[in-house]
Amino acid sequence: MYEYQLIQATGFRNYGPEDAREGVEVRLRLPNYRGMRLSLLDGVDVTLDDEFFSYEITKLRLHGEVYDLDAMRDATTVRWAMGDFGSVLVPKAGGLAPGIHRVKVAARVRSPYFPPHLQPLPVNGERLATIVLP
Amino acid sequence: MSGQFKYGVSLYSYTEDFGSIMTLEDGFDHAADTGATGIEILGETHVECYPEPSKEWLDTWFGLLDRYQLEPTNMCSWVDTKLRLGRQLTVEEGAGELERDLRLAHRLGFKFLRPKFGVIDAQLTPDPIWSGAVERVLDLANKFDIVICPEIHSPTPIRHPAVEGYIDFIERTGTPNFRLLIDTGIFQNRPLKGWQHEVPEGDSDHAKLINGIAVDPEEFLDIAKYVAFIQAKFHYINDDLQCENIPWDKVIPVLKRAGYSGYLSSEYEGAREPWVAIDQVRRQHVMMRQLEAQYDAALADA
Repeated sequence: MYEYQLIQATGFRNYGPEDAREGVEVRLRLPNYRGMRLSLLDGVDVTLDDEFFSYEITKLRLHGEVYDLDAMRDATTVRWAMGDFGSVLVPKAGGLAPGIHRVKVAARVRSPYFPPHLQPLPVNGERLATIVLP
Repeated sequence: MSGQFKYGVSLYSYTEDFGSIMTLEDGFDHAADTGATGIEILGETHVECYPEPSKEWLDTWFGLLDRYQLEPTNMCSWVDTKLRLGRQLTVEEGAGELERDLRLAHRLGFKFLRPKFGVIDAQLTPDPIWSGAVERVLDLANKFDIVICPEIHSPTPIRHPAVEGYIDFIERTGTPNFRLLIDTGIFQNRPLKGWQHEVPEGDSDHAKLINGIAVDPEEFLDIAKYVAFIQAKFHYINDDLQCENIPWDKVIPVLKRAGYSGYLSSEYEGAREPWVAIDQVRRQHVMMRQLEAQYDAALADA
């Protein structure tokens, strides 16, 4: 089951070798009320504390595969289904120190039935989340 | 003059609950306890491994229908005409999306399929591929005895070129397998309070979505013969059992006068918080049943 919030507490962690962390993972629930093909997600903006990371440089790991923005836009046969977790990979050398951090995300979702000027629309989440291990 | 409404619940009502504090079986339990006889779902949300559920999941599905004595009503689907950034779907690809969902809806026992077509402009004109795509799957829909019904949803009113296009299609093809679905949100005539919508403030659609487009319920009579299904959209029913946004005391009598005897399928779309929808749906069912009973009693006295 999902935690209610878009940003999940579990799965917020550093990635990369322990002595040279490459970045931070932010685990999300499906950022939509319906399962969607991944090409309808146009990247995810992330803010860690006050540092902003654009959807153009973050990546998404879904079902064990990692997608950059171009790969996401091409993923017309991959489904992010209700119940699946996706982890946004945020490049940040050294990662984050253990402790509580303010995390913001804007998942840019395209809904083809919305007027064109509202595609994509950000699905926003913000919370305090805890890094446990360095 | 008319039969009785059938009462249903769309699991969409429980969007803020489903997946975190509510399972599929919980949703069936809440829907059935309203006295509803029908259940509506979103294919991509409520069918595990959509569009190819496992045998085990299908067993679960039919077991739940049986245990809770609910019949499948409408399955909501999407024709994602802008699946790609660079180009729209072709007619054949659009037909493929419809065929995928017709086959799933048939496997699950649904009698209505609501496809949400992508649009091409701010007036919400459906992508013109819709008619060619639907025409290609009409035989399949007929074989499955499923009515495909696009949704007339705020901010699109009843008097709109999109609705005229759908009605022209019904008249031109003579098909019994394409009709309209009315979302009662079009009748909203009082503003939503404390409601969050993904459409940003300041956008031209924002005010319409907050304040309502206040379609006169009497206009339903003009299109009633084309309507196969009603999503009973609502946003907030207060502690005095009054809906604060939609004039149900006008809507229900019009539906009765029109002879509508299909489903009123609850679609709660209010505060985006968990643990709210379950009782809101129950309140709406009491309110709608009372209004129907009042209408019937007045008719009997006349």
